Amino acid sequence: MTSNHLTDTAIRVRGLRRRYGSGATAFEAVRGVDLDVRTGSITALLGTNGAGKTSTLEVIEGLAPASDGEVSVLGLDPVRDRAEVRRRTGVLLQKSGFSGDLTVRETLRLWHGTITDPQPVGDLLEALSLGHRADVRVSALSGGETRRLDLACTLMGRPELVFLDEPTTGLDPESRREVWNLVRRLRDGGATVLVTTHYLAEAESLADRLEIMHAGQIVRSGTPTEIAEGHPSTITFTSLDAAGAQLPGDLAAVRGAVEEQGRTRLETTDLQGSLTALLTWAERAGVRLEGLEARTASLESVFLAIADGRDAATDDTPASDAPADPAGTLEGATR
Amino acid sequence: MSTATTTPARPAASSGATNGFSLRRTVHMARWNAVLLTRNKLALFYATALPLAPLLLVLAGARGDAGSGAAAIVSSILVAGLFPVYYNVLSQFVNRRDELVLKRMRTGEVRDNELLAAIALPGVVIALVIMAVSVPIMAAFGQPWPLNPLVVAVMAVGTVLMFAAFAYWTAAWTRNAEAAQLTSLPIIMLAVIGQVSISFPDTLREIASYTPGAAITELVRVGWFGLAEGEASNPSLAFGDTWAAAGQPLLVLVAWTVIAVDLMRRSMRWEPRS
Repeated sequence: MTSNHLTDTAIRVRGLRRRYGSGATAFEAVRGVDLDVRTGSITALLGTNGAGKTSTLEVIEGLAPASDGEVSVLGLDPVRDRAEVRRRTGVLLQKSGFSGDLTVRETLRLWHGTITDPQPVGDLLEALSLGHRADVRVSALSGGETRRLDLACTLMGRPELVFLDEPTTGLDPESRREVWNLVRRLRDGGATVLVTTHYLAEAESLADRLEIMHAGQIVRSGTPTEIAEGHPSTITFTSLDAAGAQLPGDLAAVRGAVEEQGRTRLETTDLQGSLTALLTWAERAGVRLEGLEARTASLESVFLAIADGRDAATDDTPASDAPADPAGTLEGATR
Repeated sequence: MSTATTTPARPAASSGATNGFSLRRTVHMARWNAVLLTRNKLALFYATALPLAPLLLVLAGARGDAGSGAAAIVSSILVAGLFPVYYNVLSQFVNRRDELVLKRMRTGEVRDNELLAAIALPGVVIALVIMAVSVPIMAAFGQPWPLNPLVVAVMAVGTVLMFAAFAYWTAAWTRNAEAAQLTSLPIIMLAVIGQVSISFPDTLREIASYTPGAAITELVRVGWFGLAEGEASNPSLAFGDTWAAAGQPLLVLVAWTVIAVDLMRRSMRWEPRS
């Protein structure tokens, strides 16, 4: 068991599929996911609602069986080796509950007695800033306080691998920052963290590696910089139609122009060149570009492109049916 | 949030604690479930006072009359099986399942069997304690001590096990805690039909004698009082005769317990229907 600490990969997933229901109502939420999470790293699993993040996480956590594929957690099978996997991992569910009639301290004492090597209740109350609320019943806690109690339970067993499913959803900005600092300290202490989140900026600043899911598959993975790399920058401005002006057809490096809700969006691989050409043309033609914005490719723009189905990497994998070769969808990724 | 420590390089802890069933974890959780039960005053009242009340039925008959004594004790045992065990376990489980408390617990080291045992334990202990204290209470009312204590003890343990298993089976098709008021009715009927069947025609009475309630009734009459089948009072069985007389109702009770456990195993559901 100890040798597992020395391996590089804390989580290894190959060809994971998860189906719900059967027959005509069957739905495949996870359609061939490959995933490697390096020991001691923070990996963020991103995706729109319904992308399959939680469905994937539940299989890796051993809470649900896979329909197909292989999952290895700390070198173990999360279902067959449940006892050992549970002892060494901490799980924060996206939605979970506690008995409202117990106080915060009582809830932690209840958990304390179920864990092999627990941290003291007092330490956790302090670590999660719950000391002043220790003797309050759980039913009287705010959403953020309940989430911190939830996190305290997750971390009580000194896990070497932590699964956090949207840990900061519903928290105020201050609590969110505290949670992310906590996650950072976990990694600095040597733990591996797999986290899902809606907050792209946080994922960008915190995660060592990002995995972007769409329609049940991982469509992009890499560091935040790697993911934005090669993705077009965008220039947008209020559409010119009203002014009667016409864009020149030969703007440098522009891949194409799209009209959307009264705005024109240009995608370009050379932002400076295209912008210069555009402004030079506007100057000469005497056109005023209202609401002009220029953006280098960011995680957010890549993410939105994927969510809208505009991303090249996802174009050849229609969401309606699973591809025969899931690895093929990773061609466009920067692995 | 000042310190949060993790120790990834931890020596292998004794695996014995996490393999199979941990009695220590179960008792620990059961203790907290008992705390929760005491915080719900109405549930606590139903679980403790209600099963004791039927013992007063003994006052309806003449002092020392075996027939009214048996009726009082059987009623008390059935209520103990139905309230602290059956209904209490059913509503606790459904509540905690719907509030995702069980889902949360299952992400930890706790095993499923430990969770089930821990939820049932407080009610089971209450029921068994009530059955135990009813022995001296009945003696105080002039009733005899159990003739064959072993038969009575097996009946008591079988009764609580069966009702706990039926509670988990019922939970599988109970949408929420309110729905339990209706979904619990079939099992409640099954439990009490043996007692009310005395007024039924013969064929129906024959069928009713195979219900768990009838088996419990017969085991009390035979094991506690030595009443032979059909005897209203004036028991005729000696201690040695009780073994044979207890055989059939004991088989019926065991069969129902096996059925209940099997139904429970097939239908176990840990998360609310979405």
